[in-house]
Amino acid sequence: MIAEEPRLDPGRVTELAQSLETELARLIVGQKALVRDTVITLIAGGHMLLEGVPGLGKTVLVRSLGQALKLTFARIQFTPDLMPADIVGTNIIREERGRREFQYQAGPLFANLVLADEVNRATPKTQSALLEAMQERTVTVGTETRALPVPFFVLATQNPIELEGTYPLPEAQLDRFFFKSLVPFPSEEELLEIARRTTGRATPQLKAVADDKAILAAQEVAREVPIAEHVLAYAGKLIMATHPQRTELETVRRYVRFGASPRGLQALVLAGKVRALLEGRYNVAFDDLVAVAHPALRHRVFLQFEAEADDVTADQLIDEVVEKTDKAKAAG
Amino acid sequence: MSSLDGVVSELRWSAVRSSALSYLLHAVLAAAAWILAVVIAARFFPLEQAPRFEAIGVPIAFVAVAVAWIAVRPGSMKLMRTADVRLGLKERLSTAWERRGQDGPMDAVLRQDALEKAARTRLAAAYPVALRPGEVWLTLAVAVAAVGLVLLPNPMDQLLAQRRDDRAAQAQAAETVAAAQKKIAAASPAAQVDPQIQKILQDARARIASAPDPRAALQNITPAEQKLLQLSDPQTPARASTAQNLANNLSATNGGRAASQALNASPSQGARAIRDLASQLQNLSPQDRAQLAQALATAAQQAKDPEMAASLQQASSALASGDVSAAATSMDALAGQLDSLQQQESNDQQIAAAINGLEAARQQLASQADRDAAGAGASASPSAGAGGSGSAGSGAGGSGNGTGNGTGSGNGSGTGNGGGGSGGTGGQGSSGSGAGQGTGAQSTERVYVPAAPIPGQSENDPAPLAPGQDVPLTPYDQVIQAYEQVALDAADQSLIPGSERDLVRSYFSSLGEQGGGR
Repeated sequence: MIAEEPRLDPGRVTELAQSLETELARLIVGQKALVRDTVITLIAGGHMLLEGVPGLGKTVLVRSLGQALKLTFARIQFTPDLMPADIVGTNIIREERGRREFQYQAGPLFANLVLADEVNRATPKTQSALLEAMQERTVTVGTETRALPVPFFVLATQNPIELEGTYPLPEAQLDRFFFKSLVPFPSEEELLEIARRTTGRATPQLKAVADDKAILAAQEVAREVPIAEHVLAYAGKLIMATHPQRTELETVRRYVRFGASPRGLQALVLAGKVRALLEGRYNVAFDDLVAVAHPALRHRVFLQFEAEADDVTADQLIDEVVEKTDKAKAAG
Repeated sequence: MSSLDGVVSELRWSAVRSSALSYLLHAVLAAAAWILAVVIAARFFPLEQAPRFEAIGVPIAFVAVAVAWIAVRPGSMKLMRTADVRLGLKERLSTAWERRGQDGPMDAVLRQDALEKAARTRLAAAYPVALRPGEVWLTLAVAVAAVGLVLLPNPMDQLLAQRRDDRAAQAQAAETVAAAQKKIAAASPAAQVDPQIQKILQDARARIASAPDPRAALQNITPAEQKLLQLSDPQTPARASTAQNLANNLSATNGGRAASQALNASPSQGARAIRDLASQLQNLSPQDRAQLAQALATAAQQAKDPEMAASLQQASSALASGDVSAAATSMDALAGQLDSLQQQESNDQQIAAAINGLEAARQQLASQADRDAAGAGASASPSAGAGGSGSAGSGAGGSGNGTGNGTGSGNGSGTGNGGGGSGGTGGQGSSGSGAGQGTGAQSTERVYVPAAPIPGQSENDPAPLAPGQDVPLTPYDQVIQAYEQVALDAADQSLIPGSERDLVRSYFSSLGEQGGGR
């Protein structure tokens, strides 16, 4: 286990991430991209939106993460009748020594790792409470504001099917998720491996490879990874290319309603930095940006109705943006 | 690799090595393209300086490419970025280079990582020394085309050679005219050199030199000669004849024998002798005076010049009447007229020398014009080469180029004998029909027959030649007789000094023998 240190060596961050991925792989079959995205989001200090059908291991992933990092874990099943107080906590009247007083009862958000399952089934009011907590990393109940534990990592899921009676997250709230990852259905081989691992006598138990302090240190180190100006310029060009008014790409003009926000650029660069560390590098490369472009931008590119009619997805547009944005030209 | 600077140095050297070969190829391509363009242009337009243009273009192409090579040489950051991309170094070098002066938490490890990765890579591979096959083939094709066109005969070369010959001929003709100017100036005292003659020669020389071709230069000679002829006094032959008759008559007298000899020597000496005789009339015996009066009277009767005839008649009458003083006055006037004759003869000699110079220039220009025509006439139609010119002095003559027969008409001048007198100018040549069966050898023997003004035209306004109109030319053998006649007439009329007359006769005799032999 990596003990707490005043400052992590960049190489140790790489080791931490790699050991974390290795440990998760003991329980999570396949889904390497998902695991990689999760680790990146965690080290970047962001939150993640998972989209996939039920039963693909989303909950297992978050729980395993909690075990591997020795962090507290909470799961909130979002339903239409879930109220904000149910997640942020509430003041309750307690009687102690004959004296009644309000006492704050913390909600499930007060955990290091929070799984917000089927976040789109809650009402916007509850969603808003969650997303405010995600952004501010504090919750306010009554007149008192309380800080959430650090690290604070929300992994929200939503089901792409069964959309009846759901409350789709508005664009502004989607933007607050660092990554949006798609959880693909496992391959046949992976499926069999899942069956082997989970239907035996014993389920593999994960060991903690890092603690909260190591994660915080890794988050600090990740922000210090340098990025060259021409690489940063390329990231900027990618973002600009998603805007229909500023791009030269006809498909983007035709199908995109709004392009990625500045948060998208922040996510792109920060994720690139983390990925560079995970790759054992100490600088951001073009490849890092390209690799994280989909999870960082797919929920920030809002499509026209025409795109849906033509069965054009945000990922397809991002592919085209990446393909058509010349690295050398972007760097000037 | 010791440092990022070392990486940059190695990359720079690799880039220089790689781009040098490429740019050298570009320079060769540019030079070959330039030469090809000039060679092609030289096949459509007569470029006299084509080799010079080609030679100038090559270093210019190389310098331009070298300047471009230097101007676009990559900077350090560009080198690093390119190496990152081409060597798969994941932007390590460029990021490390950009942050080389910074001391952030990750900079040291970044530099170390970048240098380690660079050390494991062959940096020169970022800038491989290679040429694009397409460029190589293009360069070869252009170079081969350029060399091929340079080696193949250029149809414009003949035209250029002709132009050079034309210029040389014109320069030579102008030099000949200049030599005539110098000769005239050297032969005569400065005060007696007619500035008009010099001016005419100077103008003719300038026009010959600046004419676009020998044919055009030839067109300047006839007007110049006509102007020169206009400077000649038409009374000179009459005065010369009168002076000669006077000398002949005085030779039979006792008192005038010395004056006769002096007159035979030259009009100026004759004038001095006449003045001496006038001053010594008092000393002559009555018989000698009567004899002298008779000689003067005879000379007066034979005189063709009215002024001299009047002076002779007055002197004769005064002597016969015994008025020595009046006779001396008339003889002094006669001496003045002889001085004038001397001046006019000198002037005529200058005119003759000037015309000779112009004629020599004409021969040179005509020869070159003939060569030009022969060069172009190889493909000319027979009818086009059958031009001719007529000469009034010897009938009509024709000359032509090529193999065709042609008829020609031309103006000619002739000098005819009118009894014992002289003068008369030839008229316009009739429509000269002549066999224009010319050959190249004959055509080079063309000589000029000065044209006389056509009737009704002022002598001061020589007929301008129409554009493209050739100067009337007549083969040598057809006009030499006319020249001989004119020369012999002039000799007989004392226009030529007595010591030179035999020389003139023997010259034409020798020409006649050569012509007979021919």
